[in-house]
Amino acid sequence: MNKGYQTGLVVLIVAVLVLLSQSLYVVHQVQQALILQLGKPVRSVTEPGLHFKIPFLQDVYNFEKRLLVFDQEPQEILSSDKKNLKVDSYARWRIVDTLKFFQTVRNELGAASRINDIIYSNLREVLGQFTMMEIVAGAREDLMARIRTQANIQSSQYGIEVLDVRIKRTDLPMENSKAVFKRMQTERERQAKQYRAEGEEEAVKIRSTANKDKEILLAEAFKTSEEIRGAGDAEAANIYATAYKKDPRFYEFKRTLEAYQKAFAADTTLLVQPTGFFRFLQEAQP
Amino acid sequence: MAWNNNGGGQGPWGSGSHSPQPPDMEKVFNLAKEKFLSKLPGGQVWPAISVAVFFLWMATGIYVVGPDEEGVVVRFGRYVETTTPGPHFHLPYPIESVYTPQVTQIQRIEIGYRSRGRANSDVAAESLMLTGDENIIDIDLSVQYRIQEGGAANFLFNVRNPGDDPHNAVRNAAESAIRQVIGRNDIDTALTSGKEKIQTNTRITMQEILDSYKSGIAVVNVQLQQVAPPQEVIHAFKDVASAREDRERSINEAQGYKNDVIPRAKGQAAQEILQAEGYKATKIARATGEVNRFLALLNEYSKAPDVTRARLYLETMEEVLANTKKVVMHSDAGRGVLPFLSLSGSVATGTGNVPTSVPPQTQGVKP
Repeated sequence: MNKGYQTGLVVLIVAVLVLLSQSLYVVHQVQQALILQLGKPVRSVTEPGLHFKIPFLQDVYNFEKRLLVFDQEPQEILSSDKKNLKVDSYARWRIVDTLKFFQTVRNELGAASRINDIIYSNLREVLGQFTMMEIVAGAREDLMARIRTQANIQSSQYGIEVLDVRIKRTDLPMENSKAVFKRMQTERERQAKQYRAEGEEEAVKIRSTANKDKEILLAEAFKTSEEIRGAGDAEAANIYATAYKKDPRFYEFKRTLEAYQKAFAADTTLLVQPTGFFRFLQEAQP
Repeated sequence: MAWNNNGGGQGPWGSGSHSPQPPDMEKVFNLAKEKFLSKLPGGQVWPAISVAVFFLWMATGIYVVGPDEEGVVVRFGRYVETTTPGPHFHLPYPIESVYTPQVTQIQRIEIGYRSRGRANSDVAAESLMLTGDENIIDIDLSVQYRIQEGGAANFLFNVRNPGDDPHNAVRNAAESAIRQVIGRNDIDTALTSGKEKIQTNTRITMQEILDSYKSGIAVVNVQLQQVAPPQEVIHAFKDVASAREDRERSINEAQGYKNDVIPRAKGQAAQEILQAEGYKATKIARATGEVNRFLALLNEYSKAPDVTRARLYLETMEEVLANTKKVVMHSDAGRGVLPFLSLSGSVATGTGNVPTSVPPQTQGVKP
């Protein structure tokens, strides 16, 4: 009897545990759940925590509530100025309607292919309206917002919200890259040539200015020096004239004597008549 | 059961103290089983076991949050609270559980390259990007990030990274942000003065992206490791730099030439002018001197003109004729054979002869 009581207790405990495990379920903070009753979705649970369901009749399907990433393979896209761009983008999405999600795509793998289509078509369409430069530089943020908005409209039928579409790389395909490299190179070569020529230009200017300045300096100096010399000559002449005016005859006499001294060198032979200085030589023979 | 027979000394006291001791748990279970099966009153042992198990169970709820961690407690999967470093308690499993992510630890990711020990290998697909002026530039950067203060729950619950890439969110944000920022700059700015700004803007853009996901991630630092022209054109870029140097060199050389020529010319000019000034001064000085001499003489001359005149004349003639050969001709003997008296002998030999003969003559003239 006691043994039967014990067995009964064990059975009861097991039964309660099974019942509890069938009626209680936990939805984690990072999850949301869909309750299916005999395969038919009845409600979705987004609040995390401990929940109840009807045991055996209802099943729980858990879905991710966190933000998920969809990283796309780089796509070749034609910009409005007919340039081929390799665009590498990624999207951030989340499941917002577990029921729709479950009914349309079932799981994340199924969702990925739909998102791929949505993003790719929108990327093509939106980027096709812009030039390469707008895609690369100015309009980038605007573009991403437009793609996101459009993608969001289309993805809502799958119970998916696309929160963010970001362009990571917008690079040119190989052949275009080569063209760009070629252009960059020629651009730099042009710049280098310009720098060198500018240097030469400047150098020639400096040199010739220096030469010019030199010539002017020397000519000016010549002019000034001649003027100074002239002034010196003039003043000297004036001094002579002023003094000699006092007695021109005496000057002439004195100067003549000086000139004699210089004029007759040691080996000069003079032919003189006995007059003047020599007049006394004749007095001996009257 | 030997000790039971041995009497009261060890009896009930010993058994009482024995049962709750953990090392003998198995023994106790066996004992309890025996007692239970042999229909002994088991009520004394079961509650004790239950209490012990209960407390042990509760004790699993004690946890310590390290100084570099934050504790995030969930109750049946639902977020309850974030706890700070120190010892804490949560209701034991399966009711509550705790995550303790390291929030102060700074993570680092590399974009455009991967460092392997000392050597870096380039990842061209990540590092090549288009600038705002349609050039291609090669940029490597590193990003440092950590979990935001108090953001552990956000970090854990809001964004799911693929299992093989825990840095996925940050890496994607970084790649998007750097290209967005570079796309707004031209290549020369990126290569030279704009680095600081690019770093800052990239960090801000990344943070905006990550905040929009409520990711609980704080970008600590974005560092441009390398900003360079692509390998294909690097020579052309280097040549531009050397061309710029060449320009400076040419200009410097010309300046050097100028610096050499102009001072020399100035010196030459100054020399010429100074020479002229010297000439002028000399001229004037000589003139003044000569004139003064003349005037002085004139002064004396005017006092006794005849005598002075004669003296000057004779002195000069004396001096002049002393050094010359002389031929004295009779004034009437012009038309025949030239009668001359050579005085050259006496002149040539004797400066001494003349003074002796002259004084009588001059004395003779004076009266």
